[in-house]
Amino acid sequence: MKAGLFICVYAALFAASFYIYNQYYASSTVEDAGHLLPARVKEIEQADGEETLKELVKQANQIGSYLTIAGMQHSQGGQTYYPGAVMIDMKPFNKIIDFQPEKKEITVQSGATWDDIQQHINPYGLAVKVMQSQNIFTIGGSLSVNVHGRDIRHESLIDTVQSFRLLKPDGTVIRVSRTENADLFPYVIGGYGLFGIILDVTLSLTDNELYEKKTKELDYREYSRYFQEEVKENRDFKMHLARISVAPSSFLREMYVTDYTTAKDQQLLKDYETLKKERIVALPKLFLGFSRYSGWGKDIFWDIQKQYMLEDNGAYESRNNVMRSETDFMTYESSTKTEVLQEYFVPVDEFVGYIDDLRLVLQKENDFNLLNITIRYVEKSDQAVLSYAKEDMFALVLLINQGKSKEGVKKSERVIRKMIDVTLKHRGSYYLPYYAFPSKEQLKTAYPRIDEFFRKKQQVDPDDRFTNHFYEEYSK
Amino acid sequence: MNYRQFVLSQSIIFMASSMVFPFYVLLLRNVGDSYSQFGWAYGLFALTSALSYPVIGKWADQSGDRTLLLFYSLAMAFILLLFPLVTNVWQVYVLQIVMGVLGAVQKNTEKAVLARRADKKQVGADMGRYHFWTSIAAAAAIIITGYLVDFLTIATIFYIASLLYAWSGIVIWKKKKAFS
Repeated sequence: MKAGLFICVYAALFAASFYIYNQYYASSTVEDAGHLLPARVKEIEQADGEETLKELVKQANQIGSYLTIAGMQHSQGGQTYYPGAVMIDMKPFNKIIDFQPEKKEITVQSGATWDDIQQHINPYGLAVKVMQSQNIFTIGGSLSVNVHGRDIRHESLIDTVQSFRLLKPDGTVIRVSRTENADLFPYVIGGYGLFGIILDVTLSLTDNELYEKKTKELDYREYSRYFQEEVKENRDFKMHLARISVAPSSFLREMYVTDYTTAKDQQLLKDYETLKKERIVALPKLFLGFSRYSGWGKDIFWDIQKQYMLEDNGAYESRNNVMRSETDFMTYESSTKTEVLQEYFVPVDEFVGYIDDLRLVLQKENDFNLLNITIRYVEKSDQAVLSYAKEDMFALVLLINQGKSKEGVKKSERVIRKMIDVTLKHRGSYYLPYYAFPSKEQLKTAYPRIDEFFRKKQQVDPDDRFTNHFYEEYSK
Repeated sequence: MNYRQFVLSQSIIFMASSMVFPFYVLLLRNVGDSYSQFGWAYGLFALTSALSYPVIGKWADQSGDRTLLLFYSLAMAFILLLFPLVTNVWQVYVLQIVMGVLGAVQKNTEKAVLARRADKKQVGADMGRYHFWTSIAAAAAIIITGYLVDFLTIATIFYIASLLYAWSGIVIWKKKKAFS
């Protein structure tokens, strides 16, 4: 009798709890690599085929729901999701559709990663022309943020894209290239997923080559001249990256540069062809960990990193391996803090004045925890409407450790807006895939064609079927 | 409640608790913000347990072990229904306090039952057998749950654990001839 009563009460409470949970709590919370914008999305849908994608767009049009497109979600300002919208996870949509080694062309579904492509083309002695320094990202995501990387001879990613197919907000599929539906080409690339779903992409490839790595120390005042005279003018120099110190004892003065030049004896390539895997990263991780906590740690990390790179001088590496550098040591987990990126572009000839001004700003910000600045080069590329390389630019990527709380975000925003002001003053610009720290005015100055971009978005997608945080934040 | 019922119910309880507690930490991570909050959550649990032991000890002698074990199982079954709905640290604190009391009920009574039954000559062997069965159940639960979390949500784990607690209660509830 009593047991029967218990079972009834228990069953009722169980059902109530389950109902409330499903009603209010179960919708998925997602966040991107910035960890600053957790949001409850309506659902997460897996892109397991073209038909699924078409069906998703059709349904969204029927019931009036909103769509967002996600790859690896390393954009940090909610470019891949929005509260209450359906998030389409493109990662399963990753087949290689066509590969023509003799034409140096590959067509892949947009959820494929650079690693997928590298695994496929490396045996044929081919390599990607332009991609990020890491290979973990999807092609669709990379296109949507129009990436650049270490390569100094092939401009931005947009310059290596031959064509792609686009699933438009109205549910139709079109091919977009420089000749077909050409008006959309410069909007969708660097379009942050706002013009529809990129289905598959045809990219042109280049030869895998053997490079010799050359690293040397420099004072920041010599850098522009060094780059223009010794790197840019010498066609043997294929890739370039540099670091400038964030350690207190040499803050924004000491630098080292690493160049990848065509090795004299290309016959050796076969010894270096094997694609490298992630190595054990405990040591760099430990030192990066120290540098998070103190200036002393930053000094040690800088010295060790520089020493390590200098000792590696003269080493050989294949192009494909240079384009798959390590990421694991940067993974950082903390419930209260996160690591965010910023990227600033500044014309090559403005570099010295820019760094001096940046130092003035940052020296006053003692608790702004700047962990690393990597510098690469991007050639002028104004194909994309939201192009960041209005002239030949150095691109500075900043890694910043900050609190996740409102105050943490406010604090970063204040310093970051100051840094962007300095950047804009030097005819520079900043990269858009990051958190919405910059003001609307700053966006407008850095991207003079932003209104044109949003107008085109309205024209292609009048119902705002595709949306994201970036769009909602800056277009309205 | 005979001894078999007792061991079975306790095994189920260990299964349920070892399902929940490793993954409970994941929930705390989602909800909590700092290590100090972690410390408080577990500290409150230990503290309320400590304070309730003397009282519970007296109850056990008055109202009987079976009643207390039954109370523990059913109360845990209900409490676990609240876990999936937790969104705030203060709710975790409240749950920890309630579970601190309940944990004390279970631990104290479990030991009382074992002690009352113990044949003085082979206490060691008896304890060994008892711990063998309950620990096997716990181990199996932890391993299986690891896989379950991959497929299901953490909330599902809490619901399954709640059902297990209810089952352990029903096992004790069933009238069987007295302790053998």
